[in-house]
Amino acid sequence: MSVLSVKDLCKKYDKFELNKVSFELEKGTITGFIGRNGAGKTTTLKSLLNLVHPNRGEIMFFGKSYNENEFEIKQKIGFVSGGIDYYPKKKIKTITGTTRRFYKNWDEKAYQHYMDLFKLDENKTPDELSAGMKVKYALVLALSHNAELLILDEPTSGLDPVSRDDLLDVFMGLSNDGITLLFSTHITSDLDKCADNIIYIKNGEILASTDLNSFLTEYKVLALTDEELTDELKSKLIGCKKSKHGFSALIRASDSENLDLAMSGADLESIVVHLEKE
Amino acid sequence: MKNMLYKEFKLALHPTSMIFLSLSAMMLIPNYPYYMIFFYTTLAIFFTCLSGRENHDIFYSMTLPIRKRDIVKSRFTLVIILELLQILTAIPFALIRRTFSLPGNLVGMDANVAFFGLSFLMLGLFNLVFFTKYYKDTDKVGKSFLWGTIAITLYMIIAEIGVHVVPFMKNTLDTKDPEFLLVKLWVLAAGIVFYALLTFFSYQRSVRSFEVLDL
Repeated sequence: MSVLSVKDLCKKYDKFELNKVSFELEKGTITGFIGRNGAGKTTTLKSLLNLVHPNRGEIMFFGKSYNENEFEIKQKIGFVSGGIDYYPKKKIKTITGTTRRFYKNWDEKAYQHYMDLFKLDENKTPDELSAGMKVKYALVLALSHNAELLILDEPTSGLDPVSRDDLLDVFMGLSNDGITLLFSTHITSDLDKCADNIIYIKNGEILASTDLNSFLTEYKVLALTDEELTDELKSKLIGCKKSKHGFSALIRASDSENLDLAMSGADLESIVVHLEKE
Repeated sequence: MKNMLYKEFKLALHPTSMIFLSLSAMMLIPNYPYYMIFFYTTLAIFFTCLSGRENHDIFYSMTLPIRKRDIVKSRFTLVIILELLQILTAIPFALIRRTFSLPGNLVGMDANVAFFGLSFLMLGLFNLVFFTKYYKDTDKVGKSFLWGTIAITLYMIIAEIGVHVVPFMKNTLDTKDPEFLLVKLWVLAAGIVFYALLTFFSYQRSVRSFEVLDL
């Protein structure tokens, strides 16, 4: 049974459409949700939680329909959308004091553990926190009620590299404990470090939903000079663009076999950047 | 629901709401349109919804393990509590007027039993107009409040002019208690019934609008 299964999710706006978005998350996996600004990541995540209403599609959490089991499902999930931006003038201890009442599985020990780990002071207000600390506090709340699934919209943005790395360690630890994570991010290197799977969305459509390694091995990155960029080669290239010393392009691993050119393995960032150039 | 109500009082309620309760003392002003006291209650409701928008209260609530309709339910409960508290705090001042035989109100309706019935009706009208608009688009708090204010202002004007020109209101309702007490009690009962009906109808429509609202 999938922890989360989304089938043919559609949402139409005047100038944007989420078109048949489908994916599944398996227990204990970390899935990165990538795509450029406006690709539909937040709309998809918001649809999962009924913040926006899809025109069509089926969303099942833990094998149960969200609409019929909203209360029960929300006990088992944590949703973090960027940093905390609600009640910025109230003390953190007041916000926590209110939030904890709603969760029957609230884990005070875990709460104190993460507050200490992230060096958060309960007597401060969200307004007194830096952008990174706001994200951390939002995460602490999500991590303190024993959620089985964490849905995180840009959790690592605004964090310094060391804090990001700490956070990714936390994510991997949670995943080892059987917790499932879905997180959207622009910082693709974070996913290179910790993601098991990738969902890649472009213009409201899912281009790839697969495990990270097969996604990465599907492509190679070519560094080309002007002379090497022949018409025959151009037809095989994806997102060919000017670089400092010539051109760079993506090529499918299957098309690259007999080429005698400088090429390297692709990381997520180079794949996304070149695919978006298409 | 208990937790949501805790959240409403601890995080959402605008502090002026409690201060406005003390404005029930305005009933001691010798000549004054006493309905204004309840206008301040609606102002407190407006401030609470407005500060909720600025503090992303609905987003916060949506991340909590509750049903979407619980957000509407807890807000209505908070509002009903506020409105009833305003009425309850106004009653002692009306009794003071009666006990000390202060002169009747020359501006409009006397602070008597029928006045409270008509005030219930006014608050019910506000709940109907304001919340049915507000839950269609929770970002447009000001516009919803404008409609709510127009509705109750018209009501206040009609009610206050009524006590000067309509013989039944002038001679029977706008009198000092306990004159015509039975009739006034009927007006009070009718006011409470209409308040309950209008608020309940408003709640049901608000739940329907809010369910389909994209946040």
